[in-house]
Amino acid sequence: MTAAILSLSAVAFTLEYAVTNVANLSHGEILTVGAYAALVVHQRTGSALAAALAAAAAGGLLALAMHAAVVDRFIRRGTPTLVIFIATLGLSFVIQNLLVIRFGAANVAYTIPSGAPFELGPFLWTAVDLEIIVSALAITAVLYLIISHTKFGKALRAVSQNRELARVSGINADVVASATWFLAGLVAGYAGFILAESVGTFNPSFGFGFFLITLTAAVAGGLGRAFSTMVGAIIVGIALEFVGGYVSAGYNLAFAFAILAVVILVRPRGLFVNARRSVFE
Amino acid sequence: MTQYLVSVLTEGAIFGIMALGLNVIWGWSGDFDLAYYGYVALGAYMTLVLTIGRQPPPVQYILGLELPYPVAVLLAVASAMALALVIGLIALRHLRGIYFSIVTLGAVYVLYAMAGQFVPLFNGYQGLSGLINPMADALGIDFNSYQYFFLGLAIAVFLLVYFFMSRVSSSRFGLALRSLREDERAAAAFGRDIYRLKLKAYVLGAGLGGLGGALFAAYLSAFNTSAWAPLETVVLYAAILVGGRGNIRGVVLGVLIVYVLIEESTRFLPEIPGHPGIVLALRPIVIGAALVLFLRFRPQGLLPERHYVDRVQPAAAEANAP
Repeated sequence: MTAAILSLSAVAFTLEYAVTNVANLSHGEILTVGAYAALVVHQRTGSALAAALAAAAAGGLLALAMHAAVVDRFIRRGTPTLVIFIATLGLSFVIQNLLVIRFGAANVAYTIPSGAPFELGPFLWTAVDLEIIVSALAITAVLYLIISHTKFGKALRAVSQNRELARVSGINADVVASATWFLAGLVAGYAGFILAESVGTFNPSFGFGFFLITLTAAVAGGLGRAFSTMVGAIIVGIALEFVGGYVSAGYNLAFAFAILAVVILVRPRGLFVNARRSVFE
Repeated sequence: MTQYLVSVLTEGAIFGIMALGLNVIWGWSGDFDLAYYGYVALGAYMTLVLTIGRQPPPVQYILGLELPYPVAVLLAVASAMALALVIGLIALRHLRGIYFSIVTLGAVYVLYAMAGQFVPLFNGYQGLSGLINPMADALGIDFNSYQYFFLGLAIAVFLLVYFFMSRVSSSRFGLALRSLREDERAAAAFGRDIYRLKLKAYVLGAGLGGLGGALFAAYLSAFNTSAWAPLETVVLYAAILVGGRGNIRGVVLGVLIVYVLIEESTRFLPEIPGHPGIVLALRPIVIGAALVLFLRFRPQGLLPERHYVDRVQPAAAEANAP
């Protein structure tokens, strides 16, 4: 469950990193905005499907705006990536507090009647659980097809390996980077929706909390490489479920970071990364 | 009104000490440390457990001594430095750039979780209280004039730190740190021990953070997890950036602008009817936006750091200066 949501959020984060080399500290806010968009649309239309689409659309547009208004402007001036990283932290402050002004700082409830749980294998499932896992798998499959089998995917991989070289080979790197951020935003916005659905309540700092775990998963798997990130997310997600179940949920984040610190120190480029570098690994 | 001014100036002096400490780490050494507020918090917690003595259960925490306040402050600073030494030994060995930041972000969240969840350490999320007007009895200061005494103390400590930092700024150590920030490999080629220098800077900066925290604890007389958040470091970064990264006069100017102007003056804005808390939310928006805009349009800040000129080959150094 956590693992499924985490892998969507982490893959989106790693795609943003792949094309711009920027670790986006305001990534969590894409999830938060997705969750609020879903809430608003759900209240208006009463349709969960419309809510899901709204979450994805809002996330996509926000990510596109972040890229166009902040990240890309720094990149064009050749700013060091650490500086852009700091700027995205400032951006995260701004978005979180704009949401506070619009929706208030308090938790809002977002519950979807999930129906009676049923047994499948050794676990108890609800309809929402099933929806989350099936949709996460479907999105992952679509992302795989896009990255590995389309012209756009090829361009994305080229830009992530060497932006200048991609540019001289006739790829419009700016468009590819914008489109990738939009795609990542769609996925992250949707991840915000299913996270809100599974947690049941959220507030303006909800995405940031989850982002810290996302960061762990993405770095543990290998920043900038979509499929090793996914494996990292699944491992971190399952590890967190164990800690939450057997120790205490309060230590979740601390535990996630402990994993991260060990991974960074032992294998700074990620658990599953060899010398061959590609977004595809 | 005087009371208000006194509290603003006291806070300003305390945050100035913290910002000068962070300036050693980020301004000179060039490491974007997100754990910094953890050292402030540790300094505050340690000061409390060293001075307030034992309290009846269910309140529980480590130590519980009744040391004089100045001794407790020194020990609190030492413990912040010890923690920074441990984290720095791990994080500064090979990690730079965002990886260093991510590990320090992790470290501060571990500390935050421990402080909030692990009750035997600092009484969990309820935190510690009871450090009321330290040194008042020993010095025979009455309740009403204590705030002026504490303001004087905070400003005196701040000035001490400021003069110490202005010495460090132009010392060999300060110059060596800047050389690391600009080009680590070149500095290594000139025989600088990068790891040692960065570690020294990190521990020194964290010690000032602990000092700020120790004063802050006495100012608040209590400390708990709602009195600090790991990301409050960002406000300190905004102050340093707005004022002028690496230039201690700039850092002080930044503290004046960010804390006194933005944080305090918004207190007088009228509430907008129907939107409670809007002013409270506007502050971080302004600070976040200032961070982004300054990085984009004036990364050197309002009072830029001056470029040092090589005394041996002034012409060549001038030619290379950007």
